[in-house]
Amino acid sequence: MATALASAGILLAGWQSGAHIADTGTTTTTSLSSSATSGGSGNTGSTGSTGSSKTTSTAATYDGTAVQTRFGTVQVRVTIQGGKITEVTALHLTDAERKSAQISSRAAPVLRSEVLQAQSADVQTVGGATVTSDAYLTSLQAALDAAHF
Amino acid sequence: MPHTSSSTQLRARTFRSMGTVVSLTVASGGYAQTAVDELESAAAVVEDKFTELDLAFSLYRNGSEASRLARGELTLAYASESMRALYAEAAEWRLATDGAFTAERADGTLDLSGIVKARAVREAAMSLEALGLRDWCLNAGGDVLVSGSPGPGTEEPWLAGIVDPQDRRALLGAYPMATLPALATSGTAERGQHIWSVGGAAPEFNQVSVAATDIVTADVLATAIVAGGTRTLDQAVEKWKVEVLAARPDGTLLATPGFRKPA
Repeated sequence: MATALASAGILLAGWQSGAHIADTGTTTTTSLSSSATSGGSGNTGSTGSTGSSKTTSTAATYDGTAVQTRFGTVQVRVTIQGGKITEVTALHLTDAERKSAQISSRAAPVLRSEVLQAQSADVQTVGGATVTSDAYLTSLQAALDAAHF
Repeated sequence: MPHTSSSTQLRARTFRSMGTVVSLTVASGGYAQTAVDELESAAAVVEDKFTELDLAFSLYRNGSEASRLARGELTLAYASESMRALYAEAAEWRLATDGAFTAERADGTLDLSGIVKARAVREAAMSLEALGLRDWCLNAGGDVLVSGSPGPGTEEPWLAGIVDPQDRRALLGAYPMATLPALATSGTAERGQHIWSVGGAAPEFNQVSVAATDIVTADVLATAIVAGGTRTLDQAVEKWKVEVLAARPDGTLLATPGFRKPA
């Protein structure tokens, strides 16, 4: 049993790194917590073993860590049986509505005229890449600070 | 002078710290002298906080712990607890941004000054809250954190202009600081190319502004996106509640909805 668990652990580690590679296109890094449900059968209530005649082929399920993204929680469960991953199911995935929110909040190319405009007289402060002490003297921020005397 | 809502005034104080200029603007509708006193003491508190962090962490001071670390006179294992905590924070951000943000310069020098400035802003903000100030705007070298409104008692948000990287006397756009009170901008224009892109190629963006709920997050992500380009931008937008305005050297822009004109 201990060796079975150990090899499952190695498999999990392999699966985990595979998941990372497959995942590089998104930020949702689905990592499995190594301490998750390390017991044998029946530890999550959904171990649905099909080959229950042999104890060595008892399916064990491992729940991945719930990963929070802005658009919802992502969590997977893997089922390992006879030293092989037999099933990967999604416990939580971001739903379609959230997916569309995700897409609409992406940065898109815009024309200058499409950016919210303001005259320097309308703003109370100015954001800009690090203004040095010297550059400050000729900056818009200096003018604003002087106006707020 | 009795207080009326129409007598709201903005007053500002500035001081130099960390190689740049910090300005504190306070909105008040109270008695003029009270407001001035309030501003003076608030500015003093903010300056103290910046000086404290600058003494320990700034590479602009030869004798600072950070400079001794950078010169190799001190190793991290023997550094102060706060220095190690800061380094740990930087390391976490490096992981969270897939390496786009790093506290190490291209030559290997440990440079925590970006995080230090943002942290000074954050701690100064806590001091201002402790003083009971509600309506203020703190600008540290172009990184902005606000509280309340420029018109106390109104819903009007502080409006921050974003400098145009191609004409630094003009504004590229503006951002109403309503739901996200922190705005940081990183770029290659002001101090030369002090950000190195991942892989050593020329950065895709020459200026990136990030609005976030927290100034450290805004600052780190702005730096990370300059270094990591569109890929890091997309990751940041997906992972954190942020709005981004990014400018390319050719003048083209990328913006999330918060930076766009209402349709």
